[in-house]
Amino acid sequence: MRRTARLLSGTALAVATAGLFAAPAYAGESRGTPDGTLEVYPSSVAPGAQVTANTAGCGDGGTAAGDATAVGAGRFTLTASAHERDLIGGFQVPPSAQPGTYEIVATCDGSGRRVAGDLKVTLTPDAEQVVPRGSVKTGVGGALGPDPVRTAAGVSALAVAAAGGTWLLHRRARGDGI
Amino acid sequence: MRRRFRRLGGPGNAAIAAVTALALCSGMWLLHDGAGTPAPPQPSAAQARSGTAGHRTAAPALPPSPPSRVRIPAIGVDAPLTGLGLTSTGSLDVPPADRENLAGWYEAGTTPGETGTAIIAGHVDNADGPAVFYSLGALRKGARIEVARRDGGTAVFTVDAVEVYDARHFPDEKVYGAAPRPELRVITCGGGYSRTTGYRGNVVVYAHLTGGR
Repeated sequence: MRRTARLLSGTALAVATAGLFAAPAYAGESRGTPDGTLEVYPSSVAPGAQVTANTAGCGDGGTAAGDATAVGAGRFTLTASAHERDLIGGFQVPPSAQPGTYEIVATCDGSGRRVAGDLKVTLTPDAEQVVPRGSVKTGVGGALGPDPVRTAAGVSALAVAAAGGTWLLHRRARGDGI
Repeated sequence: MRRRFRRLGGPGNAAIAAVTALALCSGMWLLHDGAGTPAPPQPSAAQARSGTAGHRTAAPALPPSPPSRVRIPAIGVDAPLTGLGLTSTGSLDVPPADRENLAGWYEAGTTPGETGTAIIAGHVDNADGPAVFYSLGALRKGARIEVARRDGGTAVFTVDAVEVYDARHFPDEKVYGAAPRPELRVITCGGGYSRTTGYRGNVVVYAHLTGGR
């Protein structure tokens, strides 16, 4: 329900401003989790939004202690995810959070290594979500019928075979020995 | 003269026979293999959207998490997902064509399972033959689509409709527009093929979230 605001786009702006609804906008999110960083997703949210944080910086197994107190969301735990070497956890940005950029950190249990990532809180969505338009170029015809060049080559080869066969039959009919 | 011709004719006949056999074989191979697979299946009118009839209740939305794989058991799809952006013309970009079993999702949009319209696209074929979504047009209403997520969960969608659109009249709002519940679109090429302009449009699968785990 919280995130419906983003879908209602323009009309929801007023509601989102009231802080009741979260309307994250995260165009151009980078993918992957380079070692040593904490990926915060979405990286730009409105107060009240649910955020996930994951990292590949802690190595195999184990857990990590997440700290989102900067944004007022307290501590959370990152545990093994479906992805190899990835730890994941989540927290909710308090509805009372003020706009700004906050550092979210996590400390690997065991190694004690610290990884960090930024979370941006905005009262209104950065911009309306950009939606693709038009058709998608997802095929070249490679699964389809014969390539014309190939067909021509095949027909030519069969023509040669037919000519050769005819010649042989012709010779045989003339008694040229075969 | 005739005798000489006959004497030379011996090896000549063998050579001609060999060439004939070779030409026959290569001709048949070229034509047979070149015929390849039939055109990708296209949805029938019965799979089109039919108002609200048959809609199952949507499952509650999942928190945002980037997806990692898409599985469509009915047509044997199990493919990793890569992030997609937009092209300079604003259309959805496509995954690299050389990896036939790779699909993509629009990463600046809704994540599958979240409220809104999540978008997945993949190739119907590449230069070598059929690709990940070759059979997408054969999908039917009620089929299951599973999206594995980076948070370890899986979003389960149920197909509402399978439609095919001409690229010149692509219904942007219907396909990409916002939705009040968690929905998914799976897109590939379709709608007939022209040697000069390629596929004429797209097959679009509409689905909504019916479960999660």
